[in-house]
Amino acid sequence: MSKRNLCQISPGFEEIMPAEYRDLVERGPYGKGWGVAEMGSFKELIEEHPLCAGCGLALSMRLILVSLPSPEDTVVVGSTGCSALAFPQVALHNIHSLFGNQNAVASGLKRALALRFPGRVKDVVVIAGDGATCDIGLDSVLHSWFRGEKITTIMLDNEAYANTGGQESGMTQRGTVLNMAPKGKKFGKVAVPEIARESGCVYVAVTSPAKPKNMEKAVRRAVLLARDLGPTYVQLLCPCPTNYKFKPNETLDRIRDQEKQGHFRPREYYTPEAEAFIRQLEEAKG
Amino acid sequence: MYVAAKVDEEKCNGCKLCIWACPDPNVILYKPTKKIAVNQSRCKGCGLCAAACKRGALEIDAV
Repeated sequence: MSKRNLCQISPGFEEIMPAEYRDLVERGPYGKGWGVAEMGSFKELIEEHPLCAGCGLALSMRLILVSLPSPEDTVVVGSTGCSALAFPQVALHNIHSLFGNQNAVASGLKRALALRFPGRVKDVVVIAGDGATCDIGLDSVLHSWFRGEKITTIMLDNEAYANTGGQESGMTQRGTVLNMAPKGKKFGKVAVPEIARESGCVYVAVTSPAKPKNMEKAVRRAVLLARDLGPTYVQLLCPCPTNYKFKPNETLDRIRDQEKQGHFRPREYYTPEAEAFIRQLEEAKG
Repeated sequence: MYVAAKVDEEKCNGCKLCIWACPDPNVILYKPTKKIAVNQSRCKGCGLCAAACKRGALEIDAV
C-alpha cells in the first residue's frame, strides 16, 4: 500500500484537536515501519493507560504495538481482562468481544475484511489474557486453529485472573497461592504452545518482554506468517506485581529468575513451510 | 507522596534499556542528543527503568 497520509486532521480543526492526537498525526508510526530499536523517538500507539505500576502486561502491550509490521492495516481483537482496560487508549481499530469469544470474532472479521478490501493485506491480531485464551475461550481458540483461520493469537500470560482479585487460571503454576486461591493450585501450567503446535498453528513462540528484540522478532514473524500460511500463536510471560505481591521494579527480574529455575522455557515451533518462509523473509531483508 | 524517575544526564549513555523496560508509553523519551528525558507527570514510579539501567543513571525519587 502506498505511504499516503493515513492519519490526518481535517483542515480547520488543527487547533481544537487534543495535543495527543496532533502528536500522533505528526510523529506517529503509521506507514513508517519503525520497531523496537526506534522506541522513544516517536509517538507510540498506546496512550496513558490505567494499568498498575510495573505491570508486565502493559509492557508487553506496548512492545506488541511497536512490533506490528503494518499498524495502519491491523485490527486488534481484545477480550475481557486487564488488557481490556488498556484498549480504549490504543490508536488502532480494535474490537472488544465477549469473554472468551475473541478468536471467533477474529475469524469472522478476517473473512469480512477479505471481502471488503480484496486487494489489500489486513492483519487481524488477537490480544487476550491467559483466562480468555486458555480457560474460558479455549474452545473458540482451538476451533479457529483447527479451521486454519489466518489470524495471530497473542496470549498475555500473567498467570492469574488479575483483574478480579487473583483467582488461579489454567496458566498458573502448580502450588501457587493467590488471594482467591488459598489452597494452592493442584496442577501445572496447561501446555498451550504444544496444543497449538498439534492443532495446526504454523508458528508458535513462547517469549517475554524481558528480551524486547526477541519478542519483536516473534510478533513480526507471527503476523507475517499469518498473512499467507495459517494461524500463529505467541505466548508472552508478563508477571503481575499486584497479585503475586512483589515490588513493581522486580517484574523483569522475576521473568529472568523463572527462566533460570526452569519454570519458564522460551521456545519456538514452526512447520517446514513456515521455516522456509522465514528464511526467505530474512534473506530478502538482508 | 508521588514518586517518579529522575535521570542523571552525566551517567546516561543512551543505550535505551530503560525505554524497553518501561510499561508506560511516552514516559521516557529519547532526545536527539542521545540522552533520555523523563516525562515526570506521567511516570508511575514503578522503578523498572532504574532496575534496568546498568550505569545507575536513573533513580526513583519524590517529585
